[in-house]
Amino acid sequence: MWFKVTTTLETVSSGLTDRGTGMGARGRVRVACVAATMLVGTAAACSNAPATTTGAAPTAGGTASTTISPGPSGTFPAVNQPGVTATEIKVAGVASVTNPLGASYGSAFDGVQAYFDMINSQGGIYGRKLVLSQKIDDNAVKNKEAVQPLLSADIFAVLPIDTLLFTGADDLAAAGIPTFGWVINSEWGGTKDAPKANMFGQEGSYLGITEPNAVIPYLAKKIGVHKVGILAYGVPQSSDCATGIKTGIEKWGPANDVQVGFIDTTLGYGEKNLSVQVGRMKDAGVDFVTTCMDTNGVVTVATEMDKQGLKARQYLPNGYDHDFVKEYGDLFEGSLVRTSFAPIELPADQQPQGLKDLITWMGKGNGKLTENAITGWMNANQFVDGLEAAGPDFTRAKVISSINQMKDWNGEGVSPGVDWTVRHTGPSDASCSAFTTIKDGAFVPDFAEPGKPFTCVTSTGPQLVITNES
Amino acid sequence: MTDLLRYAVQGIPIGCVFGLLAVGLVLTYKTTGVFNLAFAAQAYTSAAVFFVLRRTHEWNVFAAGFVAVVVVGPLMGLVLDRALYRHLRTAAPLAKLVTSLGLLVAIPQIVNLVFGFGDKPQYRPPPLWPVDRVNDLILPSKGATIAVNAAEISTIVFTTLVVVGLVVLFRFSAIGLQMRGVVESPRLVQLQGVNAERVSMVSWMLSSLVAGLAGVLMGPLFAQMSANDFFTLLVAALAATVFAGLVSIPKAMIGGLLLGVLQAEVVGFVPTSNTLANGLRPALPFIVLFVLLVGRLVVSLAKGRGVDFARTVSDPMAGVDPPMGGATSIERPPWMVRSSRWFALGACVVGLFLAAVVFDVEWRGIVISGICLGIIMLSMTLMTGVGGTISLCQASFAAIGAFTTAQAVLRWNLPVLGAMVIGALVAALVSAVLALPVIRLPAVYAALATLAFALMFETIIRPLDAVSGGSVPVRVPRPLMAGVDFTDNTNFMLLATGIAALVGLAVWSIMRGTTGRFLDAVRGSEVGAASVGINPARQRLVAFIGSAAIAGLGGGLVASYVGQANYEANFVFFLGLVWLALLVTTGSRSVPAAFVAAIGFYATPKILSSIFSAPGNYLASHPSTSGVLRSALDVVDPSWAAPLAFALFGLGALTYARHPEGIMQYQTTKAVSRVLAVIQRRDREPGQTTGAPLVSARNATIRPSASEAGPR
Repeated sequence: MWFKVTTTLETVSSGLTDRGTGMGARGRVRVACVAATMLVGTAAACSNAPATTTGAAPTAGGTASTTISPGPSGTFPAVNQPGVTATEIKVAGVASVTNPLGASYGSAFDGVQAYFDMINSQGGIYGRKLVLSQKIDDNAVKNKEAVQPLLSADIFAVLPIDTLLFTGADDLAAAGIPTFGWVINSEWGGTKDAPKANMFGQEGSYLGITEPNAVIPYLAKKIGVHKVGILAYGVPQSSDCATGIKTGIEKWGPANDVQVGFIDTTLGYGEKNLSVQVGRMKDAGVDFVTTCMDTNGVVTVATEMDKQGLKARQYLPNGYDHDFVKEYGDLFEGSLVRTSFAPIELPADQQPQGLKDLITWMGKGNGKLTENAITGWMNANQFVDGLEAAGPDFTRAKVISSINQMKDWNGEGVSPGVDWTVRHTGPSDASCSAFTTIKDGAFVPDFAEPGKPFTCVTSTGPQLVITNES
Repeated sequence: MTDLLRYAVQGIPIGCVFGLLAVGLVLTYKTTGVFNLAFAAQAYTSAAVFFVLRRTHEWNVFAAGFVAVVVVGPLMGLVLDRALYRHLRTAAPLAKLVTSLGLLVAIPQIVNLVFGFGDKPQYRPPPLWPVDRVNDLILPSKGATIAVNAAEISTIVFTTLVVVGLVVLFRFSAIGLQMRGVVESPRLVQLQGVNAERVSMVSWMLSSLVAGLAGVLMGPLFAQMSANDFFTLLVAALAATVFAGLVSIPKAMIGGLLLGVLQAEVVGFVPTSNTLANGLRPALPFIVLFVLLVGRLVVSLAKGRGVDFARTVSDPMAGVDPPMGGATSIERPPWMVRSSRWFALGACVVGLFLAAVVFDVEWRGIVISGICLGIIMLSMTLMTGVGGTISLCQASFAAIGAFTTAQAVLRWNLPVLGAMVIGALVAALVSAVLALPVIRLPAVYAALATLAFALMFETIIRPLDAVSGGSVPVRVPRPLMAGVDFTDNTNFMLLATGIAALVGLAVWSIMRGTTGRFLDAVRGSEVGAASVGINPARQRLVAFIGSAAIAGLGGGLVASYVGQANYEANFVFFLGLVWLALLVTTGSRSVPAAFVAAIGFYATPKILSSIFSAPGNYLASHPSTSGVLRSALDVVDPSWAAPLAFALFGLGALTYARHPEGIMQYQTTKAVSRVLAVIQRRDREPGQTTGAPLVSARNATIRPSASEAGPR
């Protein structure tokens, strides 16, 4: 150690006596002070740039209907828009293909491509082929950086956006590019002042996870259970989701004989011992469990429930994952799964046309029919419907405006319907979903009526109004 | 059975997991002198091997377990010892900690690449028991008040065996004593005829075997294979490690069990839906860790033992092995200093010009992100490079700056630049409180305390709506100053560059000024520094508070660039570990190195992605390609880019032990040496062929710099 001590003391003494290379100690202090002063001074002399509001606000109106036919000469009018040539309409997307969860975000590209293949097989649109020209992997969870190339790329629209985080949302909103994706982040939604009218998700853009959730009271009544156990992590999105469920039960539970039997919204992320929570749910007579947790969380809960013999069905709002159910079906037997689209398990004679097309064309591309892939398909469908509604002389603004006039876009039956006049900034009156039950490691459609796969819960009043819709 | 007892019993299985992890960490520290954060990565490696053998190749549990635990575990220890740690035996704790940090980042990425885990979930890690599913065996029976499944049974059984075995080993065997002896004084042990190299190798193999066993036992706790989960659990077990004082295996086990039981009791008795519960319950392991660290410090001070409460040993043979070579530095002639500064300035100007005019929007975004992150990394330069303390909470300080900026703009409508300064001040204020214990703790404990703070911040403060906005991140606008709208990215880049330059100048001034010299002295020898009138605590306090302020300012700038204070995207604590690994690779005592590291953080995945996409693009544009070429190009997968980038970030940190000055300074020194050698050769008189040796990168080092820290 003598060597280091000597060296250090030498250095100290040289620091105290030798003023270095060109600037004395006093000078260095001055530089530091000047730097600090400039920072503070600069800060005091400025204000903020106004918040960006872009995109046309949604306007009311019915779904546009456009007849697509070439002009007298057999050609369509020239369109001077980014990404549009005489033969192609190019789009690009971003997905978390490589992600720490190993989740299949990347299959959203397959969904988009399958829909494009179908349209292209029919001759494309306005004489142009649809081309997914860039597939960006938001591989390092740097969405802000990942979307940057799209802002100036030679593309007409952005689809799909299927990412863990969506910090680039404001950039795409400000650029006014029609953007379609999987809405799992609050950044998709807008406000009345800045509606982000160019951002389109599978069932609207407004996430609204803190809104009172009417689905749980409905499901509880439907399957004849009365005490709901709610588990969530202490992180905001998870605990907010649980709060929405709790307030929903408080609001509509009494009329449906449903109450909160146990709630814990403080689980540590990655907490592996839920034996106490499950034991307390068992003591409380909980017969229905819903979580706002990831795969790890729901499996931990289910394993513990199985071990402690808690006979309660689970509700899995994001559980439509065939690989997952194949592995863990035994733990989730009887659990209910919600989807925002018609499940592919519907009997063939009850499948809407859009779903038949989806299954056919995804099969041709050998793509896996995941939730992400189906969402990608819906995104592409929405985009093409917007193009059709905008007309042959389409522009980005026209496509956006056309979609925003659609009050019941349903993707040829794949979706229960989206009212784009309200769904950028708030919820719609009715929450429509399809439900399946996990049986023997597979999803079995539930609560559906022939030709009406969706259950809609209207929650504008004190009573829930249930309807089945096609 | 009362609830108290029932909850206690229910906490035992997870307590065993905590205990096993703590025992593993203590074992490694006790037998190798390394506080091995990479223990989680080693555990993950064995778990991944076990998973592949059991699930993919359908081996039986005994064969798969044998290979994963008894073969792969020790083999990894052997490789780590031979390739890495045997060179670090006399290195400072800082170097050992940084090395383990690098391994923690790199190993899981390499494992994922090797096994192809990146693109699909690897569900249902199997238990280390001859059943397929964890609930295939439940004792005493399914539905019993207290029941344990196959995973919990195997954990309890193997943990007990490991603890008993290790206690016997260290109490009653010669090799156990030799292992401890080699850590404390390898030369002294060698004088007794013991092969210290071999003992060290055995130590690493043994500790890695325990890591492998821990990994295989932990696997079934998770729904799918993910290295993050392993590290999260390891971090939760750190409290038990500190409870054991880093040396006592029985205490580590007891600490783990107590932690598991305490967690269960808190869950059972603390109300589930109030503010106290929201903060306390998820953060319990980290609160316990922090309290234990502070408690030990207070007790130590009260007993008059000074701040060095860790059991430290003076090696009587320390003088035999000189300390590892310090960072190379070289005196440059004044003309070279001047010209290199002008060159650096010119390079910055050209770089900015290229970014503003030539680069596309994506690369401009990378540069802006890099500049903003560079400011946060400068905080690490001040804290670690100058202050000699590893802080694992710099990302949290950046988050504090970002949240404060966002809230100041939202609530008081302050100008965003003014709000950033307030953010920096708040971060400094928080750090001043945290510094009270941290600056008095020895290196490893200080790092753990900052990690505990980062995790407490993440679990208690960050979820609060009033701080982070909850699930909807608070918006942060771009500045508007003197009519210039910084919504434009080029303008913002210039603004960020200006701020970065000012902060860089401030850090440089501190480094080259009295404070920097004092800190150098403190890092070299606290006693020596105190003997010449330097107050070590005061100097560390300055570094800590200054670094927090810089991180806070950088966080505010990041938030303004991104448009929101988004914790998940920009400030999670693990990112801070990656940044640190990257910074020490490029140079923890260099201002330019901070920006190179930061831009590299964003640019490397992009560059690798472009490289790995090239074969696919070629095949797409040349559909007629066939045969061997197509097969070869088809193998290349663009999804390799991110894991490989992070693996490189981690592996880079391994160079720290040999080149604590960082690769930039090392390469600069080499280049300067070459130039000086050429000049010297040219100046040599004609006919002179012998004389003083030429200057070279190695032997012309004028002096080892103080950047090689002595142990704290």
